[in-house]
Amino acid sequence: MKQKLLFFIYLFVGLNFVIAQEIDKDLLLIKERLDSIQGFQAKMQLDVDISFINMPTKYADIYFEKGKAMQFESEDFIMVPKRGLDLSMQQLFKYPFITVNRGVEEVSGVQAKKINIIPTDKKADFAIATLWLDTSSKRIKKSEISTKKDGTFTVLMDYNDTEDILPKEVIISFEIEKIKLPIQYLAKNMEVDKKEMREMDVKSGKIILKINDYKIQ
Amino acid sequence: MRNLLATEIYKLLKQSKTYYALGAIFLIELLVLIGAYYQGATIIDILLSNLKDSFFFEENLLNGNLLIYLILNTLWFHLPLILMIIISGMLTTEYKDNTIQTVMLQPVEKWKFILSKYIVAIFFTLLVVLLTAISSFILSYALFGKGDLIVYLGNLNFYKASDAQYRLQLAFIAGMGSMVFFSVASLTIAVLFKEATKTWIIAALFLIVTNLLLKFEVANVFYNEWFFPKLNNSWQYFFYEEIPWEIIYHNTLVLGLYTIAFLVAGVLIFNKRDIG
Repeated sequence: MKQKLLFFIYLFVGLNFVIAQEIDKDLLLIKERLDSIQGFQAKMQLDVDISFINMPTKYADIYFEKGKAMQFESEDFIMVPKRGLDLSMQQLFKYPFITVNRGVEEVSGVQAKKINIIPTDKKADFAIATLWLDTSSKRIKKSEISTKKDGTFTVLMDYNDTEDILPKEVIISFEIEKIKLPIQYLAKNMEVDKKEMREMDVKSGKIILKINDYKIQ
Repeated sequence: MRNLLATEIYKLLKQSKTYYALGAIFLIELLVLIGAYYQGATIIDILLSNLKDSFFFEENLLNGNLLIYLILNTLWFHLPLILMIIISGMLTTEYKDNTIQTVMLQPVEKWKFILSKYIVAIFFTLLVVLLTAISSFILSYALFGKGDLIVYLGNLNFYKASDAQYRLQLAFIAGMGSMVFFSVASLTIAVLFKEATKTWIIAALFLIVTNLLLKFEVANVFYNEWFFPKLNNSWQYFFYEEIPWEIIYHNTLVLGLYTIAFLVAGVLIFNKRDIG
């Protein structure tokens, strides 16, 4: 009877510890800074670095309003990554989560605090996220988010000034399947390296965004 | 010679099948446009299917430049086939109607007579490709507007509207070389076979076999760089990211030499043979 009582006490204390686990303070500070952004507009230069896609540099205007998805305007055809453009991290912080401190790592010359974000609500569309926080400048340097549907993607951010909260350059890395068409489309005499196709069905891709002319509300 | 050329142009313009054939070319263009209107979005969906999971797409890829590219692809088969029928008909009709015997009773040198046909055939071919290009640009831009071009050549290549327009124009110019080759070859086939049906069958077979041989991948330098079926796709090279100018110049030059060889062979054979 005493053993049973002790088991329940330990269980209660353990659960209480998990539920009441504090969210990292540095992350809260950054979240506060990001939450203060009601909206912004900026100019974006987009370069695609995917081995089987040749696309010239594209330009677009971007518009963000808090609580809404980012909007794009361009005279050209542009491919906008579905993931990694959530600069205000509103999707990441949408549902309750806990954080786990993973120490300090250097990211592009910056000593960054590494933390895991684990959502505690099933509605969250990611399973786990790792953030590298630039604690001195109070902003996110890098993120790696494992989504439930769209795989894992990494976002590396570079900033103009130490004060800036929104990045001047965003590099989004992800995995993408190589295009395989069942028929020869629009072309004959395609020079296909079959060996290469077999070996490189899944390729890593990068989108490099250069953002400037921010008008933050 | 000038009179012979004028006569050949007059005969070409007077025969009804010239206009049927030109009508057929524009009908094909219209069918491509109608097909693209109803199915173009599906084709682009297939092309971009792997990317849809990772990207949103802004702006439309089903635009005039894609349509011109689709019409340009009639250079593979439709356009040369129609040209070969018209051009070979310039001689087979003369055999059929026995007008060639009437002409040869005049003080006309045989080689000049056949050479004038070749010259008119070449200019007519250039004119047809030019008309196809102009009409495709006007119709496609009027109906679908301008926009970026997507082309699948092993990789997905995207071109800005202005770059796409430039590449398409160059491709039509390069395509003229291939079309002239097929036209000249069809006239030489007509010289060899005389009779219209046989000539058309052999000409169509020549086109089909050339297209099949173009697809064959053989690890042989002569086959890949000097054999005429492999030289007929120069216009397609304008849709590689880096335009391989050396290959285009080489293919155009060598194909030009083949064209001259077919022409000279046709003139020599015609000159040696008895009429009738």
